[in-house]
Amino acid sequence: MSSIQPSRGARYFLSEGLQAFRRNGLMSLAAVTVTIVTLVALGAALVVAGALDYIAHRLESQVQTVVYLKDGLADTAVAAVRARLESLPGVTAVAYVSKGEALDRLRRSIGGGVQFRDLLARNPLPASFVVDADRPDRLEVIAAAAQRLPGVEMASYGGGAVGHLFALTRVVRLFGAAVGGALALVALVIIASTIRLTVFARRTEIEVMRLVGATAWFIRWPFVIEGAVTGACGAVGAFVAVAGLYALVVQSARSSLPFLPLPGPEQVALGLLWKLLVWGVVIGVVGSLLAVRRHLRV
Amino acid sequence: MEPDRPDDLTPAVTTRAEDGAARAPRTVVVSAPADPGGTPPHEGAAASEPDPAAALGPAAVEFEHVTKIYPNGVTALRDVSFRIAPEEFVFIVGPTATGKSTLMKMIYREESPTSGRVLVNGRDITRLPARQVAFLRRRVGVVFQDFKLLPRKTARENVAFALEVTGAPSRDLARRVAEVLEVVGLAARADALPGQMSAGEQQRVSIARALVHRPPLLLADEPTGNLDPDTSWEIVQLLSQINLRATTVVVTTHDKMIVDILRRRVIALDTGAVVRDQRRGLYGGR
Repeated sequence: MSSIQPSRGARYFLSEGLQAFRRNGLMSLAAVTVTIVTLVALGAALVVAGALDYIAHRLESQVQTVVYLKDGLADTAVAAVRARLESLPGVTAVAYVSKGEALDRLRRSIGGGVQFRDLLARNPLPASFVVDADRPDRLEVIAAAAQRLPGVEMASYGGGAVGHLFALTRVVRLFGAAVGGALALVALVIIASTIRLTVFARRTEIEVMRLVGATAWFIRWPFVIEGAVTGACGAVGAFVAVAGLYALVVQSARSSLPFLPLPGPEQVALGLLWKLLVWGVVIGVVGSLLAVRRHLRV
Repeated sequence: MEPDRPDDLTPAVTTRAEDGAARAPRTVVVSAPADPGGTPPHEGAAASEPDPAAALGPAAVEFEHVTKIYPNGVTALRDVSFRIAPEEFVFIVGPTATGKSTLMKMIYREESPTSGRVLVNGRDITRLPARQVAFLRRRVGVVFQDFKLLPRKTARENVAFALEVTGAPSRDLARRVAEVLEVVGLAARADALPGQMSAGEQQRVSIARALVHRPPLLLADEPTGNLDPDTSWEIVQLLSQINLRATTVVVTTHDKMIVDILRRRVIALDTGAVVRDQRRGLYGGR
């Protein structure tokens, strides 16, 4: 078909596809709505999993472990713990945080409003050493060794929390895929039914096209475009809903949970947009191919 | 993308439609295109009806022991064999529901035989890959009882549609459409919608559409089924004229009058089997 002019063909497919999308009115709207619902579920799962993943990685990349000391330790005992910690393999720095400093830090991270000294007769926070390691994977060994030192109450690093977070991320992803997959099937069926209306309205045209020797793909293209347009409209709708909601969540989280590291809304939006578009268009195109399949059998 | 016209589907007579008008009618019908032996045209037989056996090149259409049993168990065709030479005019006759339409559908690969072979221009189309079917159909024009025109397109647009959807270059599209509307005598009605035309005119549009690809083979499935006798006669005359322009024409009909007046080759079907194949035949035999 070297003689075909691609621009004319493309224009024909596009105008036919868009026309059909408009002519189907309410059904197109229903198809777009179902696609939106599907993609909102998919998109929400993607965003939540993405945020959890982000938090987990941030925690993981922290190469510090905190060694809490027992209360009322003598200065010499504190110095002995420091010496032992500094001699552990992989340790690059050891910083002492006194009970008073610990309280100051807490106050700063929560925000200045609360007057702890008024609420508490006694400072409940322990003194601690913040131990820097050269690599995150050393932390577990360092924490375990510190735990066994005399005068040490407890040594903790983010490891346990990171593990939990990664597990949670997996669950959210799986759940999102399951719900999204089920909804995608529904969306597929509804898009296929909508496009079948167009196929039915144009059955004479399709029949004539086949008889005069139009290729199967020439006949399919307008329907594929109708499906792609439906899917893309659904994707844009879902994108606005999910990205908007996430921006609100981040905004409120920044004032109430300032220590929580969350990926920025712009960064999330960018990744979300193309993923939803790809999914929407794939669902729409597959739906349209289902719709025309039977009518194109030779 | 496939080539526009695969060579093996392009018959030797492709270009004859161009100069067909210049030839004297009825004198050249028997020439044997693509004759492998280089036999000169049968000048001696020129004044007579075409003799299927005289064509030594590939037949325009050939059925070899074709049987068609539909999935619902109905046997539409039983061991049907015949050969139609290029540029022949053939009537397929028989009562309704006797396999005439099925036979036609096999020629443009709308149906495939349960057993046997169908050859178009020497090529076994029962083995044609699905992708190639569209290209076969550009070489086989088809006309129906119910015209199958698009109601919201004018005569001109209906004909142009056949070229547009096959990706024909737009530069000579208008000229080709005008040409073929002229052939069917509708040049003056080009801008009419099907609803504004008589049944006969609509059938002419559908014939123009079938011809716009300049196919060497034209199939007409009950073309006069919806027409009054006078209009039927006009349409059949038009098909005869098209046949004289070096196009093989196959017409199914149960219109006795037309068959008996024209005295062309008649293949009679009854309950799916060929019961008679006669040159210069009558509808009901002798």
